[in-house]
Amino acid sequence: MRSPVALGAYVPARTLVHAIDARAKLVLLVIATVASFASPAPVGLAVAAAGLVVALVASRTSPRAVLRGLRPAALLLAVSVLGNAVVLVGQPGISLAGLSRSVTVVLRVALVVGFALVFSSTTPQPAIADALAALMAPLSRVGVPVTSIAMSASIALRFIPITGEELHRIRSAQRARGARFDEGGVRERLAVWRQVLVPLVVALFRRSDELARAMTDRCYAGEQTTLLGPLPPRDRALVAVGVAWAVVCALF
Amino acid sequence: MIVVTDATHRYGSVEALRGVSLLVAPGQRVVILGTNGSGKSTLARLLNGSLLPSSGSVEVDGVSSSPETTRRLAELVGYVRQDPRNQIVSPVVSDEVAFGPRNLGLSRPDVLSRVDEALEVCGISHLRHHMTTELSGGQQQLLALAGVLAMRPRYLVLDEACSQLDEATRRRVRAIVRDCRERGVGVVEVAHFAEDVAGADRVLVLERGRLAWEGEPGGFFLSPGALSSSGLRDDPLSPVLSSLAASGCDLTEPLDEKDVVQRLGVSGAPSDRLTAPSPAADEADEAPAAHELCLRDASLSYGDTAALVRANLSATGVTLLLGASGSGKSTAARLLSGVLAPDDGSAELDGGRVRAGRIGLAFQRPEDQLFSDTVIDDIAYGPRMAGHGDEATRAEAIDAARRLGVGSDVLGRSPFELSGGQMRRVALAGVIAAGPSAYVFDEPTAGLDAPSRREVRELVSDLAAGGAPVVVITHDAAEWIDVARRVVFLAGGRVTGDLRASEVRANPAPFEAAGMLAPLMVRLRAAGRGGEADA
Repeated sequence: MRSPVALGAYVPARTLVHAIDARAKLVLLVIATVASFASPAPVGLAVAAAGLVVALVASRTSPRAVLRGLRPAALLLAVSVLGNAVVLVGQPGISLAGLSRSVTVVLRVALVVGFALVFSSTTPQPAIADALAALMAPLSRVGVPVTSIAMSASIALRFIPITGEELHRIRSAQRARGARFDEGGVRERLAVWRQVLVPLVVALFRRSDELARAMTDRCYAGEQTTLLGPLPPRDRALVAVGVAWAVVCALF
Repeated sequence: MIVVTDATHRYGSVEALRGVSLLVAPGQRVVILGTNGSGKSTLARLLNGSLLPSSGSVEVDGVSSSPETTRRLAELVGYVRQDPRNQIVSPVVSDEVAFGPRNLGLSRPDVLSRVDEALEVCGISHLRHHMTTELSGGQQQLLALAGVLAMRPRYLVLDEACSQLDEATRRRVRAIVRDCRERGVGVVEVAHFAEDVAGADRVLVLERGRLAWEGEPGGFFLSPGALSSSGLRDDPLSPVLSSLAASGCDLTEPLDEKDVVQRLGVSGAPSDRLTAPSPAADEADEAPAAHELCLRDASLSYGDTAALVRANLSATGVTLLLGASGSGKSTAARLLSGVLAPDDGSAELDGGRVRAGRIGLAFQRPEDQLFSDTVIDDIAYGPRMAGHGDEATRAEAIDAARRLGVGSDVLGRSPFELSGGQMRRVALAGVIAAGPSAYVFDEPTAGLDAPSRREVRELVSDLAAGGAPVVVITHDAAEWIDVARRVVFLAGGRVTGDLRASEVRANPAPFEAAGMLAPLMVRLRAAGRGGEADA
């Protein structure tokens, strides 16, 4: 059974951004994050925003997804804008300086969310894990188990949809046997949710055990051949362009 | 060569396997039979080193299993399980196939070429960039098989790997396995169906952890003892294969329908083996139904994907819902049981809209349906939610447990500690406990041995005889078609046929119209009829 794609989940497609090597994308994400916060308003910020527009177009990500991504933080952002704009002490009223300052901050957060979304929706989890491992590779010389960390990260990401799936199936199973999630007062609803969470934890442990067994059956022992080849010249060039863009953002 | 010598395995103090010996040569296909809990899976897991024998020995191509050699054994012996969902490590198809080879220390180009090869062999190259979660159950199992084959194992263990697959995917898996054997891969198959026995080089029957019978498939079908200890006496196809064996047919070769029918005719074997029975179900056809469960112009989409399109169906008595994977069967089940509401149209019971909790819904995987700490709590959940009193709830739960043969010794245990077969019984007991007036059973016999499957069929017939409509969704049409009253076919979310079961029992056409392969039993009956017409 299919369910709507979760926000930020990998969406298979053939776009330029999908084709870029995960390592290059990860580096570009870091550069873009720095640029989003380091660029002075308004010109530098506009250049940074133009970068996001390019990324969205090149990856065919809907701007609406960025707005959806901001939703969890919407309340916090709204409070911060109000807090900066409304002056209660001295001469009460609206402070334009405060307003523009807080709107700038909100814009910066929106930019970072946008870049992160572009990265996560165009890069499958295993590639993210590989990229992390590759970029952390120098640490393995000082004894950090880089590949294991990357695999753990990858499995953790894999378990996000599994958790959703398990939650859905336990609720369906209980609904099918007469549980009501949408009726009763707060206490009844909380009690019903407790009935969901306990089996959810049990189920997740069970599934992770089974997954571990399947991995052992396929000879997993911590070390894996990396599937990342040498970084193609195009992607090197893109990273260089990214650096130049960030410098422009920061200087204006 | 896999050499198992006098192997015993204990889980704690419980002896799951006792003194079993087994030989598998390269290119051979050995089938292991036995009822649920007979030790089949334990034996299978000894072969790839994921379990070690408590005594006795397991040796694969000269490597004997020990804590130091588990990885080497896992490399030599590929293992495919029943449920592909829990074997998938990666969210992307090509990456999933690469997982095994990447663990073998191969170079990147080698890994990539093995991925290409395995995807090609399993016929799923076109899915390489897809998400694993988007695949149908059948495609996921082909993917699991590709993931194992990419490691180029010398032996392959299939632990009920076909039991959740539809006929067409099963046939594909069999063809892939046949190719592997031709390349010299030895195959060990844990199976529950008479059909799986045909084409084997050797058959082993386990009973309570001991080797009860061993020999060739022909001898197996001629041995009443082997048939009964394997549980396959309850498989509808067994009598046919027994007659074939009696006529001297070589059952170590895969079955060919035409040949089978001819042989049964020539040998004077009773051809009524192939004629469809006209059981009570047909008489019940005429009887007025107490309740009616139906879909009226029901449509449902998940995002952009239409799962069900203006579907109409009406269920009274036992109604089979058949279709290839992805045809919308499970969606129809969720609508009929009220767990999901249709975007358009309606699901109705006796003219009123269905409500979740009023219709008994059994899930495809019993573990998906269980959630309480103890078996008795789980079975009692339905009656308790329905507001029956404490005493009534307990009485109903115990009665349901008794009807499903759930022993009183397991009532206090966690449902997740139970074997697959027992878990299924507990899940079904939980469904019938509250006494709903209609039922939807999604693959109620998947993973069950033949005697348990017969019991579930009897339970369903009983429920229907009590006036309840029972919708059964199944891959194993052959098993159900003789107890059903109506058969509804789905393809691509649309109803392509709604027929009386008697019109389907010997007629592959409606299966083909729904893009499915008719079960062997139906094909045999059809071929038999053709033969009669020729004569």
